Amino acid sequence: MPKVNSFKVKVQSGQQGMSEPVHFNFNNHKLVFENATGSAESGKVFEGSFEVNSFAHSLTLVGPESGKWDIETISIDYDCENEQPYTVNLGAVTLDETTEVNMWQDLPVPSFDV
Amino acid sequence: MNFIKRLFTGMKPDVQTEPSTMVEESEEGNETATVPAKEVPQPEPEAEPDAPVGRKVLQIPSISAGLFPEQCDEVLIKAQPSPTGDQCLFTVNRPLMEGYSWYFSDFESAAESPLAEALFCLEGLETALVCESTLLVTRKDKTLVDWVPFAKEVGAVIRDALTSGGGLIAEKIISNLPSEDAIREGIQKVIDIEVNPGVAGHGGNVSLLAVKGNSVTIKMGGGCQGCSAADLTLKQGIHTSFRTGVPHVGAIFDETDHTAGMNPYFS
Repeated sequence: MPKVNSFKVKVQSGQQGMSEPVHFNFNNHKLVFENATGSAESGKVFEGSFEVNSFAHSLTLVGPESGKWDIETISIDYDCENEQPYTVNLGAVTLDETTEVNMWQDLPVPSFDV
Repeated sequence: MNFIKRLFTGMKPDVQTEPSTMVEESEEGNETATVPAKEVPQPEPEAEPDAPVGRKVLQIPSISAGLFPEQCDEVLIKAQPSPTGDQCLFTVNRPLMEGYSWYFSDFESAAESPLAEALFCLEGLETALVCESTLLVTRKDKTLVDWVPFAKEVGAVIRDALTSGGGLIAEKIISNLPSEDAIREGIQKVIDIEVNPGVAGHGGNVSLLAVKGNSVTIKMGGGCQGCSAADLTLKQGIHTSFRTGVPHVGAIFDETDHTAGMNPYFS
C-alpha cells in the first residue's frame, strides 16, 4: 500500500441528495473533509480534500445517517508518495445508513496504443 | 426450587446446602414438572457497550472516461498488460461482440470466427476472450514479460478484422447462445456440486452474483477472501469447472474485495 500524501474528491449528486456533512472513512477512522465546497444536495457538486500523510488500507465515502444519497459520479485525485498523481473516476451508486462505497484504487496499470 | 434456579441462572451450586435442597424437592413430589418456565427468574442481560455500526462496503467499477476521443472513425486500440504479466487486455473504440462474450481456448475453437482465426495464427497466442469491446489474451510462454511487440501484432489483427467489414465471431456461436436463465442454472449447479465442496476444505465459498448475456460475475468468501492463492483457485479451478460444466459461458468476472478478507486460508 502506498503512502497517500493527500486526495481530493468531487462528488456529483443525482436525483436524491443529502444535507448531512459528507464523511469518509480512512483506515476505519470516520472523518470530515477539509476545504469542503459545494453541497451533496440533489444535482449539486461537493468537493473536499484531505492531507492524509499515511498509508492507505481502506478509503470509503460514507452514506448518510438517514435517507438515501444518489451519486452520479465520484472523481478522486490521489497524490501518493513516489508515484505520479492519478485520478480515479467511479460511476453511479446509491448510499444509505447501512452502506459506504470504496474509493481506494491503486495506481492504474499503464496502457499503450497499438 | 433452588436447584432449578441454578439450572437456569448458571449459579454455582452450594455444596453444603445442595443435598438438603434435593431432599426437599423429592419430598414435595414432582415439583420440577409443574413449575411453568415463565415463573423461573431469568438473569438480566448485561448491558453491552455501544459497538460501531458496521456498514456494507460497496465496490463499483471505475469509469474509463476519456480513454478514446469521441466521434473517431479510426480504429483505436489500447493494450494494458496485467501487473503479473500473464495476460493483456485490449480495449477497442468499437464493439467486438455486442452484449455477449466468448472464450477461445485453442485454434480449433476459433473455426469460422475470422478474428479468432487470425489471432491464433500469431506465434505464441494461448487463449483469447472476446467481451463487448475488449479482448483478453494469454501467451504460451509465461516467462515473457514485455508485451509491447506481441501487443502490436494483436492490435494489427484486431484492426484488420474490423476494417475488413465481415463478421468477427462465427454465426453458429452467436445463434447457439443459451438464455441467461440457462447459464445461471448451469453455473449455480457447478458451484453447488463441484466448486463449493472443493473450497469448503479451506473454509471458503463461492457465490454467483450476476449473469449478463453469457458473462457471469462471482464473489469469493470465507477462507477464499483475501487468500494469497485465490487467483490460482479462480483461474485454474473455478474457470475450468465453469467452462467444462457450462461450455457456453463467456467472461467470468470476480468481484471479491480481497482486502476485506477476515480469515484467509493463506495470508
